[in-house]
Amino acid sequence: MKCVTIGIVQSNQKIADQIFLATIEVLEIARQCLPGQFVNIYFPDSVKLFPRPFSIAGVSGKSILILYKVIGSQTTLMSRWQMGHQIKLLGPLGNSFTISEDKSIEYILLAGGVGAAPLMFFRDELVKRNIKPHFFIGAKTKSELPIIEDDKSDLILTTDDGSKGFKGTVIEHFEDFLKNIRHPVSLNVCGPDSMMSALKNISFPDNVTINVSLEKTMACGLGLCQGCVVKTTSGKYNGHYALVCKDGPVFNLNDVEFDE
Amino acid sequence: MNDLSIDLGKGLKIANPVFTASGTFGYGDEASEVVDVNRFGGIVTKSLSLEPRIGNPPPRIVETPSGMINSIGLANIGLEAFLREKAPYLSQLSCKVIINIAARTEEEFCDVIKALDNEKWISAYEINVSCPNVKEGGIAFGTDPDVLRHLTQKLRDKTDRYLIVKLSPNVTNIAQMAEIVQECNADAVSMINTLYGAAIDIHTRKPKINTVIGGLSGPAIKPVALAHIIKARKVIDIPIIGIGGISNGEDVIEFMLAGASAVQLGTVNFYNPCAIYEILNFIEQYMTQYNLTSLQEIIGQALV
Repeated sequence: MKCVTIGIVQSNQKIADQIFLATIEVLEIARQCLPGQFVNIYFPDSVKLFPRPFSIAGVSGKSILILYKVIGSQTTLMSRWQMGHQIKLLGPLGNSFTISEDKSIEYILLAGGVGAAPLMFFRDELVKRNIKPHFFIGAKTKSELPIIEDDKSDLILTTDDGSKGFKGTVIEHFEDFLKNIRHPVSLNVCGPDSMMSALKNISFPDNVTINVSLEKTMACGLGLCQGCVVKTTSGKYNGHYALVCKDGPVFNLNDVEFDE
Repeated sequence: MNDLSIDLGKGLKIANPVFTASGTFGYGDEASEVVDVNRFGGIVTKSLSLEPRIGNPPPRIVETPSGMINSIGLANIGLEAFLREKAPYLSQLSCKVIINIAARTEEEFCDVIKALDNEKWISAYEINVSCPNVKEGGIAFGTDPDVLRHLTQKLRDKTDRYLIVKLSPNVTNIAQMAEIVQECNADAVSMINTLYGAAIDIHTRKPKINTVIGGLSGPAIKPVALAHIIKARKVIDIPIIGIGGISNGEDVIEFMLAGASAVQLGTVNFYNPCAIYEILNFIEQYMTQYNLTSLQEIIGQALV
């Protein structure tokens, strides 16, 4: 059940260039959230009114983790959060990634930069069930790569300039990897629009299911304003607009269109 | 406990003067996990049309200074699905339920009203003659005085139910429009709908809203709303339901002093979905502080 509540910042650590990992104690959300879901963070700002949505990057005891990149005034404010700082938030919101009953499925997680956030949480959930996913994380360069501690999954890092891990985009590297996969695959993706569009151009074998976590400008996060729509082509929305906040943020790649 | 109730006339009495504004609160059920919907004096549902509407392509919303621009395009599930899927929830609410209706033609308005008139749980209709974001109908009904008069008269003949006409600020003389609504024996006006607004991305050099121009709402428009309400109050006696950037209890009192008998919360539902609790607490305290026995005492007091 979604709720508006107060969270207390436990830690707020810089882990890469402009990228931070915050731990926020908020039991009501931590005890029920699922990988793929997000929270809205409210800011005491009378000029920029909208709350900002952030994927939940994991759960640790009574706390949730938020992985974020500093890009505007609100995230700049967040980067200054100290331990004990209180924030108002709404959550958990949206749908989640799914784990199949089929034990033969291989899980691949594909992240562009800070898009690693929801996939870190999904990785934790998979590991809990003794499933070891392949976790690709790509960035432009080493300093922008969110380095997360990981001995639980098969972590594959890429940078566009080759300063860390494999040289090239995460999509390019993943395409090579895909050639050697024989099992049915659950591919779970979160990254910038350019990465999502690149995915659309790959011809996948039939046994690959692709779930993408989308981001759109949102006002409410609850389905009230109907602002955060994505055009659908097929699936259960049948060509209508789906709400990223409520019907998503996780969609089957084949059901959504990006070139709006 | 102070008495926050307001009598809007013709048997419509609300427990407090605060409604939700159409299009900012869905059909009530979406927000019910987060806020106790029955704490509102009433809710005004998302605009309902005869047939379902998928709405406008994205981008549909953009944040602007102290406000936002939207162009949703009256996306809604249509009359049939509304009665099947939403009526069971809405009909069990203890607060009042007002159905906002949008249509392309007078006949469509009449058809929707005909289908809803037997639903006993509905307290009032709010007629949307002021949506800036649809090609047909919408704002056209609310900007031409003759068209507004013809429509309001027709709907008045069609139903005995409490009838509210929601006015557009995008006109030269809003007082004239309010007067027409009163002359046609509608029961109240609600005002204002959104103002025309636009925003452009300087990097992509493209409009930030798919329809280029959308509807501006939020605290940025509050002074405009107050000015329009004051103008209308001078020429009509029927209740005014005030709308426009209300975000706290102080704003509610300010709107009532300007002549509103009740108010609607819109954009604030997005950035403070629990605002109603703070607002009711504030009004309680305000009444105690100024020794008010009825909230009705302050309606239009700033203009006397």
